[in-house]
Amino acid sequence: MSRIIVVTSGKGGVGKTTCTANIGMALARRNHRVAVVDADFGLRNLDLLLGLENRIVYTAIEVLTGECRLEQALVKDKRQPNLALLPAAQNRTKDAVTPEQMKQVVDEIAKSYDYVLIDSPAGIEMGFKNAVASAHEALVMTTPEIAAVRDADRVVGLLEANDIRKMHLIINRLRPAMVQQDMMMSVKDVQEILAIPLIGVIPDDEKVIISTNRGEPLVLSPNISLAGIAFNNIVRRLEGETIPFLDLTAAHDDLFTRIRRMFRNRN
Amino acid sequence: MTSDSSAPASVSAISPVTADTTAHLQVRFKTESGRLLLLLPPEDATASGWADVLQQLKHRLNSGDRFWQPYTAVHLVARDRLLDVRQLQTIADTLTPYQLQLKRVYTSRRQTAIAAVTIGYSVEQHVPIAHLNPPTEAGQALADPLYLQTTVRSGVEIRHPGTVVILGDVNPGSSVVADGDVIIWGTLRGVAQAGAAGNSRSLIMALRMEPTQIRIATQVARAPETPPTQYYPEVAYVSSEGIRIARASEFSKARLLPQPT
Repeated sequence: MSRIIVVTSGKGGVGKTTCTANIGMALARRNHRVAVVDADFGLRNLDLLLGLENRIVYTAIEVLTGECRLEQALVKDKRQPNLALLPAAQNRTKDAVTPEQMKQVVDEIAKSYDYVLIDSPAGIEMGFKNAVASAHEALVMTTPEIAAVRDADRVVGLLEANDIRKMHLIINRLRPAMVQQDMMMSVKDVQEILAIPLIGVIPDDEKVIISTNRGEPLVLSPNISLAGIAFNNIVRRLEGETIPFLDLTAAHDDLFTRIRRMFRNRN
Repeated sequence: MTSDSSAPASVSAISPVTADTTAHLQVRFKTESGRLLLLLPPEDATASGWADVLQQLKHRLNSGDRFWQPYTAVHLVARDRLLDVRQLQTIADTLTPYQLQLKRVYTSRRQTAIAAVTIGYSVEQHVPIAHLNPPTEAGQALADPLYLQTTVRSGVEIRHPGTVVILGDVNPGSSVVADGDVIIWGTLRGVAQAGAAGNSRSLIMALRMEPTQIRIATQVARAPETPPTQYYPEVAYVSSEGIRIARASEFSKARLLPQPT
Protein backbone atom coordinates (compact mmCIF):
# COMPACT_ATOMS: atom_id res chain seq x y z
CA MET A 1 0.00 0.00 0.00
CA SER A 2 1.62 3.22 -1.07
CA ARG A 3 1.56 6.31 1.06
CA ILE A 4 0.06 9.45 -0.43
CA ILE A 5 1.28 12.49 1.46
CA VAL A 6 0.35 16.10 0.80
CA VAL A 7 2.78 18.85 1.78
CA THR A 8 0.79 21.94 2.63
CA SER A 9 0.94 25.13 4.68
CA GLY A 10 -1.75 27.66 3.85
CA LYS A 11 0.69 30.54 3.72
CA GLY A 12 2.98 30.94 0.75
CA GLY A 13 6.75 30.96 0.87
CA VAL A 14 7.25 28.82 3.95
CA GLY A 15 9.06 26.08 2.06
CA LYS A 16 6.51 23.55 0.81
CA THR A 17 8.16 23.00 -2.54
CA THR A 18 11.72 22.90 -1.16
CA CYS A 19 10.58 20.42 1.42
CA THR A 20 8.77 18.23 -1.13
CA ALA A 21 11.86 18.15 -3.34
CA ASN A 22 14.19 17.25 -0.50
CA ILE A 23 11.96 14.71 1.19
CA GLY A 24 11.18 13.13 -2.17
CA MET A 25 14.86 12.87 -3.00
CA ALA A 26 15.80 11.56 0.44
CA LEU A 27 13.08 8.89 0.25
CA ALA A 28 14.23 7.84 -3.21
CA ARG A 29 17.79 7.52 -1.94
CA ARG A 30 16.49 5.10 0.66
CA ASN A 31 15.39 2.83 -2.17
CA HIS A 32 11.74 3.70 -2.33
CA ARG A 33 9.96 4.38 -5.54
CA VAL A 34 8.83 7.97 -5.13
CA ALA A 35 6.63 10.19 -7.28
CA VAL A 36 6.41 13.90 -6.53
CA VAL A 37 3.32 15.61 -7.90
CA ASP A 38 3.21 19.35 -8.43
CA ALA A 39 -0.34 20.50 -7.69
CA ASP A 40 0.52 24.16 -8.15
CA PHE A 41 -1.08 24.66 -11.55
CA GLY A 42 -0.12 27.95 -13.12
CA LEU A 43 2.76 28.61 -10.72
CA ARG A 44 4.79 25.44 -10.90
CA ASN A 45 8.18 25.41 -9.22
CA LEU A 46 8.92 21.87 -8.18
CA ASP A 47 10.56 21.09 -11.54
CA LEU A 48 13.02 23.96 -10.98
CA LEU A 49 13.99 22.79 -7.52
CA LEU A 50 14.71 19.34 -8.86
CA GLY A 51 16.51 20.75 -11.91
CA LEU A 52 14.14 18.99 -14.27
CA GLU A 53 12.55 21.99 -15.99
CA ASN A 54 14.11 21.24 -19.37
CA ARG A 55 12.88 17.65 -19.46
CA ILE A 56 9.17 18.34 -19.22
CA VAL A 57 7.21 17.33 -22.30
CA TYR A 58 3.76 16.55 -20.97
CA THR A 59 1.99 17.69 -17.80
CA ALA A 60 -0.87 16.46 -15.64
CA ILE A 61 -3.34 18.26 -17.91
CA GLU A 62 -2.34 16.19 -20.93
CA VAL A 63 -2.74 13.05 -18.85
CA LEU A 64 -6.23 14.11 -17.86
CA THR A 65 -7.29 15.01 -21.37
CA GLY A 66 -5.90 11.73 -22.65
CA GLU A 67 -3.29 13.33 -24.89
CA CYS A 68 -0.59 11.16 -23.37
CA ARG A 69 -0.19 8.22 -21.09
CA LEU A 70 0.72 8.74 -17.45
CA GLU A 71 4.16 7.16 -17.89
CA GLN A 72 4.93 9.66 -20.63
CA ALA A 73 4.21 12.62 -18.39
CA LEU A 74 6.20 11.35 -15.42
CA VAL A 75 9.71 12.83 -15.62
CA LYS A 76 12.42 10.55 -14.26
CA ASP A 77 15.00 12.30 -12.15
CA LYS A 78 18.38 12.72 -13.79
CA ARG A 79 20.32 11.54 -10.71
CA GLN A 80 17.97 9.21 -8.93
CA PRO A 81 16.09 6.60 -11.01
CA ASN A 82 13.68 5.95 -8.13
CA LEU A 83 12.30 9.48 -8.27
CA ALA A 84 9.73 10.75 -10.76
CA LEU A 85 7.98 14.08 -11.13
CA LEU A 86 4.50 14.73 -12.45
CA PRO A 87 4.67 18.37 -13.48
CA ALA A 88 1.76 20.78 -13.30
CA ALA A 89 0.67 22.76 -16.33
CA GLN A 90 2.09 26.25 -16.31
CA ASN A 91 -0.35 27.70 -18.84
CA ARG A 92 -3.49 26.92 -16.83
CA THR A 93 -4.99 28.00 -13.54
CA LYS A 94 -6.01 25.97 -10.51
CA ASP A 95 -9.58 25.74 -11.79
CA ALA A 96 -8.49 23.70 -14.80
CA VAL A 97 -8.56 20.56 -12.66
CA THR A 98 -11.19 19.20 -10.30
CA PRO A 99 -10.44 17.30 -7.08
CA GLU A 100 -11.94 14.17 -8.65
CA GLN A 101 -9.59 14.34 -11.64
CA MET A 102 -6.62 14.93 -9.40
CA LYS A 103 -7.60 11.97 -7.26
CA GLN A 104 -7.90 9.82 -10.35
CA VAL A 105 -4.38 10.71 -11.53
CA VAL A 106 -2.78 10.34 -8.10
CA ASP A 107 -4.46 6.99 -7.45
CA GLU A 108 -3.14 5.82 -10.80
CA ILE A 109 0.41 6.90 -9.86
CA ALA A 110 0.08 5.24 -6.46
CA LYS A 111 -0.30 1.87 -8.14
CA SER A 112 3.36 1.83 -9.17
CA TYR A 113 5.07 3.94 -6.50
CA ASP A 114 5.69 3.48 -2.77
CA TYR A 115 5.37 7.15 -1.95
CA VAL A 116 3.43 9.90 -3.68
CA LEU A 117 4.28 13.36 -2.40
CA ILE A 118 1.91 16.12 -3.45
CA ASP A 119 3.20 19.67 -3.39
CA SER A 120 0.19 21.81 -2.52
CA PRO A 121 -0.07 25.44 -3.63
CA ALA A 122 -0.52 28.22 -1.09
CA GLY A 123 -4.04 29.16 -0.14
CA ILE A 124 -7.11 27.12 0.72
CA GLU A 125 -9.01 27.41 -2.54
CA MET A 126 -9.29 25.09 -5.50
CA GLY A 127 -5.58 24.31 -5.68
CA PHE A 128 -5.55 23.18 -2.07
CA LYS A 129 -8.70 21.11 -2.55
CA ASN A 130 -7.10 19.42 -5.55
CA ALA A 131 -3.94 18.68 -3.62
CA VAL A 132 -5.65 17.13 -0.60
CA ALA A 133 -8.32 15.23 -2.52
CA SER A 134 -6.38 12.00 -2.74
CA ALA A 135 -4.02 12.31 0.21
CA HIS A 136 -4.05 9.93 3.16
CA GLU A 137 -1.70 11.93 5.31
CA ALA A 138 -0.27 15.40 5.45
CA LEU A 139 2.91 17.24 6.29
CA VAL A 140 1.97 20.69 7.52
CA MET A 141 4.72 23.24 7.01
CA THR A 142 5.07 26.43 8.97
CA THR A 143 7.72 28.94 9.91
CA PRO A 144 7.92 30.34 13.44
CA GLU A 145 5.89 33.43 12.54
CA ILE A 146 2.39 34.17 13.78
CA ALA A 147 0.99 34.64 10.27
CA ALA A 148 2.34 31.30 9.08
CA VAL A 149 1.20 29.55 12.25
CA ARG A 150 -2.32 30.90 11.99
CA ASP A 151 -2.58 29.82 8.36
CA ALA A 152 -1.20 26.41 9.25
CA ASP A 153 -3.83 26.18 11.98
CA ARG A 154 -6.57 26.89 9.45
CA VAL A 155 -5.13 24.25 7.15
CA VAL A 156 -5.03 21.67 9.95
CA GLY A 157 -8.72 22.35 10.54
CA LEU A 158 -9.48 21.93 6.85
CA LEU A 159 -7.47 18.71 6.64
CA GLU A 160 -9.45 17.33 9.58
CA ALA A 161 -12.63 18.27 7.76
CA ASN A 162 -11.31 16.37 4.74
CA ASP A 163 -10.83 13.28 6.90
CA ILE A 164 -7.05 13.42 6.84
CA ARG A 165 -6.18 12.47 10.39
CA LYS A 166 -2.52 11.57 10.06
CA MET A 167 -0.75 14.89 10.17
CA HIS A 168 2.77 15.90 11.04
CA LEU A 169 4.25 19.30 11.62
CA ILE A 170 7.45 20.62 10.07
CA ILE A 171 8.80 23.87 11.40
CA ASN A 172 10.99 25.50 8.81
CA ARG A 173 13.47 28.33 8.92
CA LEU A 174 14.03 28.37 12.66
CA ARG A 175 16.77 30.66 13.91
CA PRO A 176 17.96 29.25 17.22
CA ALA A 177 19.84 32.42 18.09
CA MET A 178 16.70 34.53 17.72
CA VAL A 179 14.66 32.06 19.73
CA GLN A 180 17.19 32.27 22.55
CA GLN A 181 16.93 36.04 22.56
CA ASP A 182 13.14 35.64 22.71
CA MET A 183 12.72 37.36 19.36
CA MET A 184 11.21 34.40 17.55
CA MET A 185 8.54 31.88 18.41
CA SER A 186 10.07 28.70 19.74
CA VAL A 187 9.27 25.20 18.58
CA LYS A 188 7.25 24.75 21.76
CA ASP A 189 5.21 27.91 21.11
CA VAL A 190 4.28 26.72 17.63
CA GLN A 191 3.49 23.22 18.82
CA GLU A 192 1.31 24.54 21.61
CA ILE A 193 -0.97 26.28 19.14
CA LEU A 194 -1.08 23.70 16.39
CA ALA A 195 -1.29 20.64 18.64
CA ILE A 196 -0.19 18.08 16.06
CA PRO A 197 2.86 15.80 16.30
CA LEU A 198 6.16 17.35 15.26
CA ILE A 199 8.24 15.47 12.71
CA GLY A 200 11.03 17.91 12.04
CA VAL A 201 12.61 21.29 12.64
CA ILE A 202 14.68 22.77 9.83
CA PRO A 203 17.07 25.56 10.73
CA ASP A 204 17.34 28.65 8.57
CA ASP A 205 20.16 27.99 6.17
CA GLU A 206 21.61 30.01 3.28
CA LYS A 207 22.54 26.78 1.57
CA VAL A 208 18.83 26.22 0.89
CA ILE A 209 18.78 29.23 -1.42
CA ILE A 210 21.90 28.05 -3.25
CA SER A 211 20.51 24.55 -3.69
CA THR A 212 17.19 25.93 -4.92
CA ASN A 213 18.89 28.07 -7.53
CA ARG A 214 21.02 25.19 -8.71
CA GLY A 215 18.17 22.72 -8.84
CA GLU A 216 20.13 20.36 -6.60
CA PRO A 217 18.22 19.23 -3.50
CA LEU A 218 20.17 19.80 -0.28
CA VAL A 219 20.12 16.17 0.70
CA LEU A 220 22.34 15.38 -2.30
CA SER A 221 25.24 17.66 -1.38
CA PRO A 222 28.35 15.76 -0.27
CA ASN A 223 29.01 18.08 2.69
CA ILE A 224 25.54 17.82 4.06
CA SER A 225 24.40 20.91 5.94
CA LEU A 226 22.37 21.00 9.14
CA ALA A 227 19.21 21.63 7.10
CA GLY A 228 20.04 18.63 4.95
CA ILE A 229 20.46 16.45 8.05
CA ALA A 230 17.10 17.75 9.27
CA PHE A 231 15.47 16.64 6.00
CA ASN A 232 17.05 13.21 6.25
CA ASN A 233 15.81 12.89 9.82
CA ILE A 234 12.29 13.82 8.76
CA VAL A 235 12.34 11.04 6.19
CA ARG A 236 13.56 8.51 8.73
CA ARG A 237 10.86 9.58 11.19
CA LEU A 238 8.32 9.34 8.38
CA GLU A 239 9.34 5.71 8.04
CA GLY A 240 8.72 5.11 11.70
CA GLU A 241 12.23 5.43 13.14
CA THR A 242 12.67 7.30 16.38
CA ILE A 243 15.37 9.89 15.87
CA PRO A 244 16.16 12.51 18.48
CA PHE A 245 15.61 16.06 17.26
CA LEU A 246 18.68 18.03 16.26
CA ASP A 247 19.91 20.07 19.15
CA LEU A 248 19.36 23.50 17.66
CA THR A 249 18.38 25.62 20.61
CA ALA A 250 20.61 24.53 23.44
CA ALA A 251 24.22 25.60 23.16
CA HIS A 252 23.62 26.39 19.52
CA ASP A 253 26.70 28.58 19.24
CA ASP A 254 28.96 25.71 20.04
CA LEU A 255 27.16 23.31 17.74
CA PHE A 256 27.04 25.69 14.81
CA THR A 257 30.61 26.80 15.14
CA ARG A 258 31.69 23.24 15.58
CA ILE A 259 29.92 22.16 12.42
CA ARG A 260 31.16 25.15 10.48
CA ARG A 261 34.67 24.43 11.64
CA MET A 262 34.24 20.85 10.58
CA PHE A 263 33.18 21.93 7.09
CA ARG A 264 35.97 24.46 6.80
CA ASN A 265 38.50 21.83 7.66
CA ARG A 266 37.09 19.51 5.08
CA ASN A 267 36.98 22.00 2.23
CA MET B 1 -14.23 48.18 45.97
CA THR B 2 -14.36 44.44 45.97
CA SER B 3 -11.58 41.99 45.49
CA ASP B 4 -12.80 41.77 41.94
CA SER B 5 -11.43 45.12 40.99
CA SER B 6 -8.08 44.38 42.55
CA ALA B 7 -7.90 41.24 40.50
CA PRO B 8 -5.67 41.32 37.40
CA ALA B 9 -7.48 43.80 35.22
CA SER B 10 -6.02 42.31 32.12
CA VAL B 11 -8.26 44.07 29.69
CA SER B 12 -9.06 47.58 28.74
CA ALA B 13 -12.55 48.34 27.58
CA ILE B 14 -13.24 49.71 24.14
CA SER B 15 -16.47 51.43 23.20
CA PRO B 16 -19.42 49.07 23.57
CA VAL B 17 -20.91 47.63 20.43
CA THR B 18 -24.35 46.31 19.87
CA ALA B 19 -24.34 42.59 20.18
CA ASP B 20 -25.22 40.46 17.25
CA THR B 21 -28.50 39.14 18.54
CA THR B 22 -29.51 37.22 15.46
CA ALA B 23 -27.03 34.46 16.03
CA HIS B 24 -26.65 32.44 12.90
CA LEU B 25 -27.78 28.95 13.55
CA GLN B 26 -25.36 26.15 12.98
CA VAL B 27 -25.64 22.40 12.63
CA ARG B 28 -26.58 21.04 16.03
CA PHE B 29 -27.14 17.75 17.77
CA LYS B 30 -29.79 17.52 20.40
CA THR B 31 -31.11 14.66 22.45
CA GLU B 32 -34.81 14.58 23.03
CA SER B 33 -36.40 11.78 25.01
CA GLY B 34 -33.74 9.24 24.04
CA ARG B 35 -33.54 10.18 20.39
CA LEU B 36 -30.66 12.01 18.79
CA LEU B 37 -31.84 14.89 16.66
CA LEU B 38 -29.63 16.42 14.01
CA LEU B 39 -30.77 19.97 13.43
CA LEU B 40 -29.78 21.66 10.21
CA PRO B 41 -29.84 25.44 9.97
CA PRO B 42 -32.83 26.75 8.03
CA GLU B 43 -32.15 27.74 4.46
CA ASP B 44 -32.68 31.47 4.97
CA ALA B 45 -31.00 31.91 8.36
CA THR B 46 -27.53 31.49 6.98
CA ALA B 47 -25.65 32.40 3.90
CA SER B 48 -23.93 29.10 4.50
CA GLY B 49 -24.24 26.74 1.61
CA TRP B 50 -24.23 23.00 1.55
CA ALA B 51 -20.42 22.79 1.82
CA ASP B 52 -20.48 24.79 5.06
CA VAL B 53 -23.26 22.68 6.52
CA LEU B 54 -21.33 19.52 5.76
CA GLN B 55 -18.16 20.95 7.27
CA GLN B 56 -19.99 21.99 10.43
CA LEU B 57 -21.53 18.54 10.68
CA LYS B 58 -18.12 16.89 10.43
CA HIS B 59 -16.69 19.27 13.00
CA ARG B 60 -19.49 18.58 15.48
CA LEU B 61 -19.15 14.84 14.96
CA ASN B 62 -15.38 14.99 15.45
CA SER B 63 -15.62 16.96 18.63
CA GLY B 64 -18.30 14.93 20.33
CA ASP B 65 -17.70 11.36 19.27
CA ARG B 66 -17.26 10.16 22.85
CA PHE B 67 -20.86 10.80 23.67
CA TRP B 68 -22.74 8.68 21.24
CA GLN B 69 -23.69 5.11 21.84
CA PRO B 70 -23.10 2.80 18.88
CA TYR B 71 -26.02 2.39 16.49
CA THR B 72 -27.92 5.36 17.78
CA ALA B 73 -30.72 6.32 15.45
CA VAL B 74 -30.48 9.86 14.18
CA HIS B 75 -33.51 11.90 13.28
CA LEU B 76 -32.66 14.63 10.81
CA VAL B 77 -34.53 17.88 11.28
CA ALA B 78 -34.04 19.51 7.92
CA ARG B 79 -36.57 22.32 8.48
CA ASP B 80 -37.06 24.19 5.21
CA ARG B 81 -33.71 23.16 3.80
CA LEU B 82 -33.86 21.65 0.36
CA LEU B 83 -31.97 18.37 0.24
CA ASP B 84 -31.62 16.06 -2.72
CA VAL B 85 -30.95 12.34 -2.69
CA ARG B 86 -27.20 12.82 -3.02
CA GLN B 87 -27.02 15.25 -0.11
CA LEU B 88 -29.10 12.99 2.14
CA GLN B 89 -26.83 10.11 1.23
CA THR B 90 -23.76 12.25 2.07
CA ILE B 91 -25.22 13.01 5.51
CA ALA B 92 -25.86 9.32 6.12
CA ASP B 93 -22.35 8.42 4.94
CA THR B 94 -20.83 11.08 7.17
CA LEU B 95 -22.66 9.67 10.19
CA THR B 96 -21.69 6.05 9.51
CA PRO B 97 -18.05 6.16 10.77
CA TYR B 98 -19.41 7.45 14.09
CA GLN B 99 -21.79 4.50 14.24
CA LEU B 100 -24.79 6.74 13.90
CA GLN B 101 -27.62 5.73 11.64
CA LEU B 102 -29.90 8.09 9.84
CA LYS B 103 -33.45 6.84 10.34
CA ARG B 104 -36.01 9.54 9.98
CA VAL B 105 -36.21 12.90 8.24
CA TYR B 106 -38.38 15.79 9.36
CA THR B 107 -38.89 18.41 6.71
CA SER B 108 -41.25 21.10 5.58
CA ARG B 109 -40.21 20.81 1.95
CA ARG B 110 -42.01 18.50 -0.41
CA GLN B 111 -38.93 17.83 -2.56
CA THR B 112 -36.83 16.88 0.45
CA ALA B 113 -39.57 14.54 1.63
CA ILE B 114 -39.69 12.84 -1.76
CA ALA B 115 -35.91 12.49 -1.87
CA ALA B 116 -35.86 10.97 1.62
CA VAL B 117 -38.59 8.50 0.75
CA THR B 118 -36.77 7.52 -2.43
CA ILE B 119 -33.75 6.26 -0.49
CA GLY B 120 -35.84 4.64 2.19
CA TYR B 121 -35.96 6.89 5.25
CA SER B 122 -39.16 7.43 7.11
CA VAL B 123 -40.34 10.95 6.63
CA GLU B 124 -42.40 13.38 8.58
CA GLN B 125 -43.50 16.37 6.63
CA HIS B 126 -44.98 19.31 8.42
CA VAL B 127 -46.26 22.68 7.35
CA PRO B 128 -43.81 25.49 8.00
CA ILE B 129 -46.04 27.64 10.20
CA ALA B 130 -43.37 28.26 12.77
CA HIS B 131 -41.39 30.38 10.36
CA LEU B 132 -44.26 32.72 9.56
CA ASN B 133 -44.51 34.10 13.07
CA PRO B 134 -41.09 33.92 14.67
CA PRO B 135 -41.00 34.25 18.45
CA THR B 136 -41.12 37.91 19.35
CA GLU B 137 -41.12 37.60 23.14
CA ALA B 138 -38.03 39.04 24.76
CA GLY B 139 -37.42 36.09 27.01
CA GLN B 140 -36.31 32.90 25.36
CA ALA B 141 -34.97 29.82 27.08
CA LEU B 142 -31.36 29.00 26.31
CA ALA B 143 -30.59 25.84 24.44
CA ASP B 144 -28.86 22.94 26.17
CA PRO B 145 -25.14 23.50 26.66
CA LEU B 146 -22.94 22.55 23.75
CA TYR B 147 -20.01 20.40 24.80
CA LEU B 148 -17.13 20.05 22.37
CA GLN B 149 -13.86 18.22 22.74
CA THR B 150 -11.71 19.78 20.07
CA THR B 151 -9.14 22.40 19.26
CA VAL B 152 -11.06 25.27 17.73
CA ARG B 153 -8.75 26.24 14.91
CA SER B 154 -8.33 29.39 12.88
CA GLY B 155 -11.30 30.00 10.60
CA VAL B 156 -13.75 28.00 12.68
CA GLU B 157 -16.67 29.80 14.25
CA ILE B 158 -18.82 28.16 16.86
CA ARG B 159 -22.20 29.70 17.52
CA HIS B 160 -24.69 28.32 19.95
CA PRO B 161 -27.87 29.70 21.51
CA GLY B 162 -26.81 28.50 24.95
CA THR B 163 -23.70 27.85 26.98
CA VAL B 164 -20.63 26.49 25.18
CA VAL B 165 -18.11 24.25 26.92
CA ILE B 166 -14.90 23.52 25.02
CA LEU B 167 -12.39 20.96 26.10
CA GLY B 168 -9.38 22.14 24.14
CA ASP B 169 -7.77 25.34 22.95
CA VAL B 170 -9.45 28.16 21.08
CA ASN B 171 -6.80 29.33 18.65
CA PRO B 172 -6.22 32.79 17.15
CA GLY B 173 -8.43 33.46 14.15
CA SER B 174 -11.35 31.47 15.52
CA SER B 175 -14.37 32.59 17.47
CA VAL B 176 -16.85 31.19 19.93
CA VAL B 177 -20.18 32.95 20.21
CA ALA B 178 -22.63 31.82 22.88
CA ASP B 179 -25.90 33.20 24.17
CA GLY B 180 -24.95 31.80 27.56
CA ASP B 181 -21.49 31.40 29.12
CA VAL B 182 -18.29 30.37 27.37
CA ILE B 183 -16.21 27.88 29.31
CA ILE B 184 -12.87 26.88 27.86
CA TRP B 185 -10.96 24.08 29.49
CA GLY B 186 -7.80 25.07 27.68
CA THR B 187 -6.25 28.25 26.35
CA LEU B 188 -8.37 31.01 24.89
CA ARG B 189 -6.39 32.77 22.15
CA GLY B 190 -9.18 33.66 19.74
CA VAL B 191 -12.34 35.69 20.11
CA ALA B 192 -14.95 34.69 22.68
CA GLN B 193 -18.37 36.21 23.08
CA ALA B 194 -20.73 35.36 25.92
CA GLY B 195 -24.29 36.55 26.31
CA ALA B 196 -24.52 37.28 22.61
CA ALA B 197 -28.27 37.79 22.95
CA GLY B 198 -27.68 40.56 25.47
CA ASN B 199 -27.29 38.91 28.86
CA SER B 200 -24.56 40.92 30.56
CA ARG B 201 -24.39 38.50 33.47
CA SER B 202 -22.80 35.92 31.19
CA LEU B 203 -19.23 34.84 31.88
CA ILE B 204 -16.20 33.73 29.94
CA MET B 205 -13.91 31.28 31.68
CA ALA B 206 -10.63 29.86 30.51
CA LEU B 207 -7.76 27.97 32.07
CA ARG B 208 -5.46 30.37 30.32
CA MET B 209 -6.76 33.71 29.08
CA GLU B 210 -4.81 35.08 26.13
CA PRO B 211 -7.73 36.26 24.02
CA THR B 212 -7.59 38.31 20.88
CA GLN B 213 -10.78 39.91 22.11
CA ILE B 214 -13.56 39.10 24.53
CA ARG B 215 -17.12 40.30 24.34
CA ILE B 216 -19.88 40.00 26.89
CA ALA B 217 -23.31 41.25 25.88
CA THR B 218 -22.64 44.77 24.58
CA GLN B 219 -19.15 45.15 26.01
CA VAL B 220 -15.90 44.57 24.18
CA ALA B 221 -12.43 44.23 25.63
CA ARG B 222 -9.07 43.24 24.32
CA ALA B 223 -6.04 41.74 25.97
CA PRO B 224 -3.47 44.14 27.40
CA GLU B 225 -0.54 45.09 25.20
CA THR B 226 1.92 43.56 27.62
CA PRO B 227 1.11 39.95 28.39
CA PRO B 228 1.14 38.92 32.04
CA THR B 229 4.13 36.98 33.31
CA GLN B 230 2.06 34.20 34.76
CA TYR B 231 -1.27 32.72 33.81
CA TYR B 232 -4.04 31.43 36.05
CA PRO B 233 -7.49 30.10 35.30
CA GLU B 234 -9.54 33.25 34.98
CA VAL B 235 -13.11 34.45 34.70
CA ALA B 236 -14.23 37.46 32.70
CA TYR B 237 -17.38 39.25 33.79
CA VAL B 238 -19.10 42.57 33.35
CA SER B 239 -18.81 45.07 36.17
CA SER B 240 -19.98 48.64 36.30
CA GLU B 241 -16.66 49.71 34.71
CA GLY B 242 -16.87 47.28 31.84
CA ILE B 243 -15.35 43.86 31.41
CA ARG B 244 -13.07 42.76 34.23
CA ILE B 245 -11.10 39.61 34.73
CA ALA B 246 -10.67 37.82 38.03
CA ARG B 247 -8.70 34.79 39.01
CA ALA B 248 -11.02 31.81 39.04
CA SER B 249 -10.02 30.84 42.56
CA GLU B 250 -11.05 34.25 43.85
CA PHE B 251 -14.01 34.85 41.59
CA SER B 252 -16.46 32.44 43.11
CA LYS B 253 -15.51 33.37 46.67
CA ALA B 254 -15.81 37.07 45.98
CA ARG B 255 -19.31 36.51 44.75
CA LEU B 256 -20.34 34.36 47.68
CA LEU B 257 -18.73 36.02 50.66
CA PRO B 258 -19.77 39.46 51.84
CA GLN B 259 -16.92 41.86 51.14
CA PRO B 260 -15.22 43.74 53.95
CA THR B 261 -15.22 47.40 52.99
